[in-house]
Amino acid sequence: MKLTAAKQPVGSWFKRILIALVVLIDVYPLFWMITASFKQPAEFVEKPAYALNSGFYLQNYIDAWTRGKMAIFFRNSLINTVISLVFIIFFTVTISFALTKMQWIGKEFFKKYFAFGIMIPVATSLIPLFQIFQKMNLINTRSSLILVYVASAISFSIYLITGSMLSLPDEIMEAAVIDGCGIYNLMAKVVVPLTKNSIITVLVIQFFFKWNDLLYSMTFVSSTELKTIQTGLLYFQDEFGSKNWGAIFASVSICVIPMLLMYLVLNKKVIEGMTAGAVKG
Amino acid sequence: MKKKVLACVLTAAMATSMFSVGVQAADKGSDRTFKILSMWAEDDADSGQILKDVTEKYIQEVNPDFKYEFELVSVDNLKQKIATLAASNDLPDVFAYDAGTPLIELIDAGLVLDVGAKLDELGISDKVDPSAVDFLTGLTGTDTLYDLPLGQNIEGFWYNKEAFEKAGIENPPATWDEMLEDADKLLEAGIQPFAVGGADSWPATRLINAYVIRKLGTDAMDKAYKGEIKYTDEGIVEGAAMLQEMVEKGYFGEGATTVDQNTAANMILSGEAAIIYNGSWYVSQLQADTNPAGEDGIGFFNIPAVEGGVGTDTEYSMNCGTILAFSNEKYDDVTEGWLKYFVENVADYAINNQGTLRGYVIDQYPDNLSTYSKMVAEEIEKSTGSATWFEAAMDSELSQISQENVQSLMNGDMTPEEYCESMQDIWDAAH
Amino acid sequence: MKTVLSNKKAIFLFVFPGFVLYTVFVVLPVIWSGYYTFFDGIPGIKWEFCGLDNFVRLFHDKNFMKALIVNLKYIGIVTVGQVGIGLLLALMFKYWLKHFATLVRTIVFFPVVLPTVAVGQLFVKIYEIQPHYGLLNSVLKAVGLQELVQPWIGQASTALGSLSAMDIWTAVGFYAIIFYGALLDIPEDVVEAARIDGCKPFQLFRMVLTPLLRPMIITCAIFSFTGTVKMFESALALTGGGPGGATKSLSIYMYDTAFTYSKTGYGSVIALFIFLVCVVGSRIIRSFEKPID
Repeated sequence: MKLTAAKQPVGSWFKRILIALVVLIDVYPLFWMITASFKQPAEFVEKPAYALNSGFYLQNYIDAWTRGKMAIFFRNSLINTVISLVFIIFFTVTISFALTKMQWIGKEFFKKYFAFGIMIPVATSLIPLFQIFQKMNLINTRSSLILVYVASAISFSIYLITGSMLSLPDEIMEAAVIDGCGIYNLMAKVVVPLTKNSIITVLVIQFFFKWNDLLYSMTFVSSTELKTIQTGLLYFQDEFGSKNWGAIFASVSICVIPMLLMYLVLNKKVIEGMTAGAVKG
Repeated sequence: MKKKVLACVLTAAMATSMFSVGVQAADKGSDRTFKILSMWAEDDADSGQILKDVTEKYIQEVNPDFKYEFELVSVDNLKQKIATLAASNDLPDVFAYDAGTPLIELIDAGLVLDVGAKLDELGISDKVDPSAVDFLTGLTGTDTLYDLPLGQNIEGFWYNKEAFEKAGIENPPATWDEMLEDADKLLEAGIQPFAVGGADSWPATRLINAYVIRKLGTDAMDKAYKGEIKYTDEGIVEGAAMLQEMVEKGYFGEGATTVDQNTAANMILSGEAAIIYNGSWYVSQLQADTNPAGEDGIGFFNIPAVEGGVGTDTEYSMNCGTILAFSNEKYDDVTEGWLKYFVENVADYAINNQGTLRGYVIDQYPDNLSTYSKMVAEEIEKSTGSATWFEAAMDSELSQISQENVQSLMNGDMTPEEYCESMQDIWDAAH
Repeated sequence: MKTVLSNKKAIFLFVFPGFVLYTVFVVLPVIWSGYYTFFDGIPGIKWEFCGLDNFVRLFHDKNFMKALIVNLKYIGIVTVGQVGIGLLLALMFKYWLKHFATLVRTIVFFPVVLPTVAVGQLFVKIYEIQPHYGLLNSVLKAVGLQELVQPWIGQASTALGSLSAMDIWTAVGFYAIIFYGALLDIPEDVVEAARIDGCKPFQLFRMVLTPLLRPMIITCAIFSFTGTVKMFESALALTGGGPGGATKSLSIYMYDTAFTYSKTGYGSVIALFIFLVCVVGSRIIRSFEKPID
């Protein structure tokens, strides 16, 4: 913008410092977490928390990977998350389209019906859900997690996607239809590409949610072979509250890395997706 | 065309996710998988390791066909997990649980196995330490065992010897007043006298309990829950006041309600604080190579006497840690085989590999016990009576409130009287 | 066009699978727990029909009231904080930021990505006072504000504020990006015209930007609101609801009631209440929306 800096050097410095401060406040934790993951147990007690790691204590990472069974959990989380994401996108893009652009009776009701899910506190449904899964013979299976991941993501994802669907110009769709596109072609060739950014936004946000899940995984799945990545953190605390902080932060760092990578690769799209009216309710 | 493909893909995908399941469910039955649920990792240096290694040895030595599954849940979610499983009638074969009221609920619902009767049948009742049996049956209020111990802990004060020397304290205190005098000496010497994991709450209520059992005797808290005395009894109020006073005098340093017990325990090892109230599970931390205080740097003294109190210094506050309970419904030959082997072998395994006592009879102590393990064994031998912890007799709600409010008490947001009344109110509402 | 968009088969195919999944695994459990509200105990352990007792109990429950008050305060602080600061950051992105713009936006969004457990633990260390001063207390001491050094999460007076600060920090990037997008959509000539008319920046914000951003502010407020009503994980991770219940929210109380106190039915009543707060609150926020058209 033209109206700013040049004329007001003092203000400009003030702005720069403020921006730097904002950045610092947001970067520091990541930095701290990584230094903490290299600390020896004693360092957590003997030195202040903000002190740098005195060496690179790699044992934390070895512990996290082997004791915390990160290899298994990592794979499980990846499988569950990826499969869930495919379904989430598939279901919510189609539903959102039907709810915004298509014409049918009951549309308004279904809009409200799907919005309802945003307001439900998670813990209420644990016991009923468990019983439903048990009746379906799904307890302790990957499917139970995937089903609940997908179902619980529907409301919020529809909310995000309908926004950008609304702003989809009717003329473009009209042109496609005149060119002979059927509904499925229209979806695949026009609607999906044009709402790409908000779809990516949903992908990324739901990826974080699913990747960070502990409650569902702990409730519905019992065998270690099927547990997910956040379970790994449990390996470093005991019944009297004793915790191996170094290994915990190493585990967290390992958890966060894929999210960071995904985010760094996609962040431009995410931010575009959100700015391109993803959340226009 | 595309539409069909789409529909097919969708149906297929849904179907796969549904039916991949059926296959897995089918292989239950004949040779079933034995399920162990706990909040110990199977390879910790503690109870988890014991459960796993003894089970592995059982497979090696006795039953090679034995299949088991070890499940780990977080401490905070153990009750939720068990509640969810119980609601669906699907309790694991054996699971860790809180002794006392939570277990009683399961017993009343007929979900938990009468282990004591099975041990009698198998002729191995004498393998469980009699004091542990008394303790556990006392907690459940039953004639026979409904759970097995996995620990045998005494509790008391642990102190850093070097810190005591620096402050010119020669002997550990014998009375509560002496302990407070020592605390003043430590303060003068620039050492924080006590550490307490106030963030975890239970270490704080233990301090009240310590005072109360010396003042009113070991059964004080039981009596309160039974309604024989009130939670607002003078002795209990005095205990709460004592804790508050100790906080106000700065004995616990700044912000004691923000410290977790793990950090507090480490502060004693590194000499940043001098005294902590803790249980003998502390030994695993003490004998680790990483203990900066070394092999003999930490000492123990039992809860000191309170003036005008009825408690004596050979009465210990004890606990059996988190216990093991068995599913009543799933009990069969598979469980029986495991149970028999476990009860017969756990004591030796624990003492030889970890130097820990688990509430079972030990045939022979090994020679190479660490100083700390020996210290604990000696203390246990002196014992003439035992008390439970503060919340042991309480129901979950009362226990939660007493723990929640103890932080307010420490911060001075509640008076000792208000603290005790808050417990009495909950008790009154429930009875 | 019309025929394509009212293709019944397609609509069915689009809506039905998601509808089934959502109904079975989201709506059904809620209805199920509605049925629980008439029972005392925990299913499978002790389970007795008790009529409306659970609803009556709600009105006499001091701890419930306490949790409600905590929760309402938290909603107030955090919703205003997340939306307000988010908006300010977005304005900064748009009007101040020139160098490294993408990088800065990326970094501000970053905390959204972190697992709650990790964030909680991080802030425990930041607010720490014993055995060592954490970051906050160290900084205060270093700049000579020794008297402000205090156990931030260890006393009732500051715990909720500290928790709110953490939650604002975590989510503010999310709102900043949404507002930034909305700002980009505001036509340049509108702003330019206002400026030529002699609008000061603050006037510009109040008279021009705010009305244009209004729908977005309301959407974000609702979103932040429904999130804060359900306050649960972050409080558990930072303070465990303490000290002395100072950060114990409705959801934590519900979880305790349903599982720790073995009163699933009563827990379901509280859950129902949380849901109602969500619905009513969203309605109220929406009422600030000017009628469109």
